[in-house]
Amino acid sequence: MRRAGWYLITGAVAGFAGVLGLHIGGTAAPAALGQPVRGETGTPPALAGGSAPGTTPPATPAGATGPARSAAGAVEPYGYGQLSVTVTVRGDRIVAVSVPVLRTVDPYSQQLAQQVIPMLRSEVLAAHSAQIHGVSGATYTSEAYAQSIQSALDKLHSR
Amino acid sequence: MTPQPAPLTTHAEPVMGTVFSFTAVHGDLPPDAVRAALAAACRILHHCDALFSTWDPASPVSRFRRGEAALGQMPPEFPEVLRECRAAQQASGGWFDPWAMPGGFDPTGLVKGWATERALAVLRGAGLAGALINGGGDVAVFGSPADGHRWRVGIRHPWRADALACVIEVGQGPVTEERSGGSGGSPPRVSTGLEPSGPGPWGPGACPRGGGVPSRASIAAVATSGPYERGAHLINPATGRPASRAASATVTGPSLALADALATGVAVGGDAALAVVSGLDGYAAYLIRPDGSETDTGGIAFAR
Repeated sequence: MRRAGWYLITGAVAGFAGVLGLHIGGTAAPAALGQPVRGETGTPPALAGGSAPGTTPPATPAGATGPARSAAGAVEPYGYGQLSVTVTVRGDRIVAVSVPVLRTVDPYSQQLAQQVIPMLRSEVLAAHSAQIHGVSGATYTSEAYAQSIQSALDKLHSR
Repeated sequence: MTPQPAPLTTHAEPVMGTVFSFTAVHGDLPPDAVRAALAAACRILHHCDALFSTWDPASPVSRFRRGEAALGQMPPEFPEVLRECRAAQQASGGWFDPWAMPGGFDPTGLVKGWATERALAVLRGAGLAGALINGGGDVAVFGSPADGHRWRVGIRHPWRADALACVIEVGQGPVTEERSGGSGGSPPRVSTGLEPSGPGPWGPGACPRGGGVPSRASIAAVATSGPYERGAHLINPATGRPASRAASATVTGPSLALADALATGVAVGGDAALAVVSGLDGYAAYLIRPDGSETDTGGIAFAR
């Protein structure tokens, strides 16, 4: 069984997509989910103690074995500023996602980001454990496709 | 280790200004036949793109929009798409209206789903055990990804490209869970006129679907619309101006052409359009409002 031991993560989104592929690569048949994946879009998350940049408490999903390794993505524009994401992997599982760089264009965006980023961490982890065959969303351009989860799924199965 | 996965082939095809992703479950079909089927499905998509691209000023639909060509001079696909548009306009309660678009008749909100269905029909006709086509975010499936499993489709989170709002299950196989909707007491359902068993608005048998298109009962579709990818492209038919009452609108049902159009309608009309979908037999909708709150019609199998 061929398995890439490590991905060079070059950006926040691409980094997640690569690790997603690493996990889903094991099987074509979806297994039961280990945790709910339904988004908490209706509930504002608690503020992370007023300090948005930081590290999530490491989750301990089953299958997370071996030494933990981290890679920091490049600083990427995200629409209201710039951020960088660091993904920590143990074995073939994401165990932590942190946001060491967060710059926003205005205070309101900073406030929003402080609310959103804790949610983003949890949902990155949730999406990672959701074994899916495709992603439905508003029509993306060819350029946006390259950054999409669907693109990661396609790369995974074409290897 | 993990059980031996079912042989499958994936393919990504740039067409219609986006990328179509294919997942083909081989079943008993040899690999070269799978590749041939995928190539034929892609030819369908490029053909539909050439006919209905509003970006190409020389396309038939562009000439039709400018009044340079009458319907009688149009390729045979045109009457079919016009009928589908009319049915979708009626089914959506007017929230989807290709005749109310700036610049004249614009079937773009339906054509991608319609073309995807035609491509999926080619794959099904070739004898694949199952397939998923993702037309730039609008998904149609038949069969099963593996024995005893349904297709699992993530719904993109409207504010984060790398996250999911939820996962839903579609297609054949056991339903693991069906979350009850917020609408207590379902209103009587009405026919959309697009089911293979029901009388179509244009009369039974009057709509030839060349190429051995299968009945839609075996196809499941998931279409999502929202303002987050391409900005203010959603138009309120009543005003002709950009409008959106949804962060994300998803519609499921047996026809991707209609689901695509209805998702556009719910993205424009929000809760009012969702209520219209709740009355359509076989269709369901899931809405994330601009404030982040969620609702749905019931009838969608949200995965735990």
